[in-house]
Amino acid sequence: MLKKFTLKNYKNFKDEISIDFENTAGYQFSTDCITDGTISKMLIYGRNATGKTNLGKALIDICMTMFGVRRYADTGVFLNADSIDETATFSYEFRFENNELIYRYTRFYNQELRNEELRINKKTIFSCDFENNKFDFKNLKYINAETASIDRYLQSVDIDDEEELQEPKLPFLRWLISNVALNSDSILIELANYTRRMLMITAGNTMLRTSRRMNDSFYELLEDSNRLKDLEYFLNEMGIACKLILQKLPDGQRELYFEHEKLVPFYETASSGTLALVDLYRRLIPKNWDPSFIYLDEFDAFYHYEMSEKVINFFKRRYPKCQIIMTSHNTNLMTNRLMRPDCLFILSRAGALTALCNATERELREGHNLEKMYISGEFDKYE
Amino acid sequence: MNDYRGRARKRSQNLLIVEGHHEKNKLFWLIFKCFPEININMDEIWIYGTNIYQLYNDIVKEYGEKWAEENVDIDLPFVISKKQYPDGLRYKEDFTNIVLVFDYERHDTNFSEEKILEMQRCFADAADVGKLYINYPMIESYRHLCQLPDDDFAERKIPVSLQRGKEYKALVKQESILGSKVDFPHRIDDLLEKRFGVSDIEKRKKCCGKILEISSVNSMEHVIDNALQEVVAEHILPTAKYQLVDWVAKQEYVHMNLTYWEYIRGVFKQVIYHNISKANRIQYGQYQIPEHKYKGYFERLDLTEILKVQNLASKDKITGFIWVLNTCIYFIAEYNFRLVMD
Repeated sequence: MLKKFTLKNYKNFKDEISIDFENTAGYQFSTDCITDGTISKMLIYGRNATGKTNLGKALIDICMTMFGVRRYADTGVFLNADSIDETATFSYEFRFENNELIYRYTRFYNQELRNEELRINKKTIFSCDFENNKFDFKNLKYINAETASIDRYLQSVDIDDEEELQEPKLPFLRWLISNVALNSDSILIELANYTRRMLMITAGNTMLRTSRRMNDSFYELLEDSNRLKDLEYFLNEMGIACKLILQKLPDGQRELYFEHEKLVPFYETASSGTLALVDLYRRLIPKNWDPSFIYLDEFDAFYHYEMSEKVINFFKRRYPKCQIIMTSHNTNLMTNRLMRPDCLFILSRAGALTALCNATERELREGHNLEKMYISGEFDKYE
Repeated sequence: MNDYRGRARKRSQNLLIVEGHHEKNKLFWLIFKCFPEININMDEIWIYGTNIYQLYNDIVKEYGEKWAEENVDIDLPFVISKKQYPDGLRYKEDFTNIVLVFDYERHDTNFSEEKILEMQRCFADAADVGKLYINYPMIESYRHLCQLPDDDFAERKIPVSLQRGKEYKALVKQESILGSKVDFPHRIDDLLEKRFGVSDIEKRKKCCGKILEISSVNSMEHVIDNALQEVVAEHILPTAKYQLVDWVAKQEYVHMNLTYWEYIRGVFKQVIYHNISKANRIQYGQYQIPEHKYKGYFERLDLTEILKVQNLASKDKITGFIWVLNTCIYFIAEYNFRLVMD
């Protein structure tokens, strides 16, 4: 599980911001938001432009570092625009059974790594200073990786000035995982397993009208009538009454329809809420693996308040162990019936993230109407 | 510039609904001073005077006879502002605390067990619809301790016949050991104004503030001398100084190396402890509370149940009695129980 994430000098976050998943307050209700003492269902509120989306992008940055795969199309300025610091810092603390692992790195404006460091149970396993070409691999034996041919790695990152157009520097952790035969119980395998299953899903602004190609692969899945039925059932259960049918057109293409007296093309007609919900389904449900972490940005932007609640309840049941961070403007979800004050957060204009229970001197109880309190300004020092 | 915003909302307001009784404002002023964590600026509180039956009628007027049965979400700032300033309506969405403090006035011609019970049941959350605190027989009961600790408080009650305000107040004045302590700031203020002719209220406030911050006998004279400079006319300065030094020296706080506020905070904790024990006595028949269960015992108290017991006990005009109990100081314990623990 991800225990703590710390970020600095990235996009709007000039100062350090961290999410401590282990900082729980012992409430006896909505216990399904906590898994093994760690927050597993988190809901973040915040005024517009406080960085809710940026925080998600930062969290899944580790996927880029470890696998070179971008999980989220990102453009724009990488470093904080008011800072003179040359790099952004990312630090991930994990707990895998009784082991603690900290992976920390810094990146320049062009996203090249400056530093990279891995610590396991407080021991530095390796550290790389790409800027000054200083590397320390002395403790690789602690993860049974002493056989790694470090020279080959160093060759690959040793780029002369003339060859500046070379590939970006390869993170050592990525190289290590793909080039060394690690034991199946190795903590690095656990780490890779976790980070490989991290996702970010955004419903708010883009991607609703999915590209033809994406639809095709989705339609292919829906060819299976059970899958189609399941999608239909999912929509019905979440509050959208409809019947779906998939047809093959004469040119061999497939098309999804709402079933009526006459067929109604699905993607051209479906409401924003329906499209968002189908998109969520497409990205999550048919997968044959369970995500470890999902950042659901503005997940319910188009949902009726009841549907938002149903979706959260569905997540809790279907993915009890998955660490899910949701962002929303829907204050109706700010309730102890569904969440709890240590899992509800406010992201402030100043870039601080505070749990409701730490945003007031008042002792928050199960009976409190958190939504009303939020609206009336109970937490305004942290907004 | 274009006015894009229009009228801005003002949040984080506080509403104190009382019976137009100065004592209540004084008590809450002192509470907020001693517990700065509660984070309410006394100058930003909207104090509305009414009585509980008038308020009940105003609620009926807005929401109908069945408001309590139907669990209507009552908006008191709206009800009151509609009546008081129809051009400036206010809504509970902008209020972080709504507190109602009323005396248990059995002798009131409007007294109705049903109405008062409905009010007690519905107004149960200061951060939402509002919280009703009924004091038995009246607000002064928070002072009704004859020593600290006062074990006799467990059985302290007054006959229904005595509950006329004046008589009870006189009784408390005579028996209380808290009066001189909690009145101290006002006594200094009075002294400065009436005896030494300081008419500027801001100057008095500042001067009082300095004196109440004193926390040691050694610095006492020096601080008082400083505080009085340019406040009191020069020819009476020595008199004023010695009078105040004498007063402060008689107060316990300086001898305990505490500021006045820290000292009264401790007193409040004791008053709260006595009243939680007493409520437990009234609702469950047991006065002593095991120390480690203090919070748990507080949380199981039910103001509606206590009201029922009081209603029953005070029914008979001749033999009836009222348990002395102050509930409005529970506001502190409810806000955060940590504040009342040692």
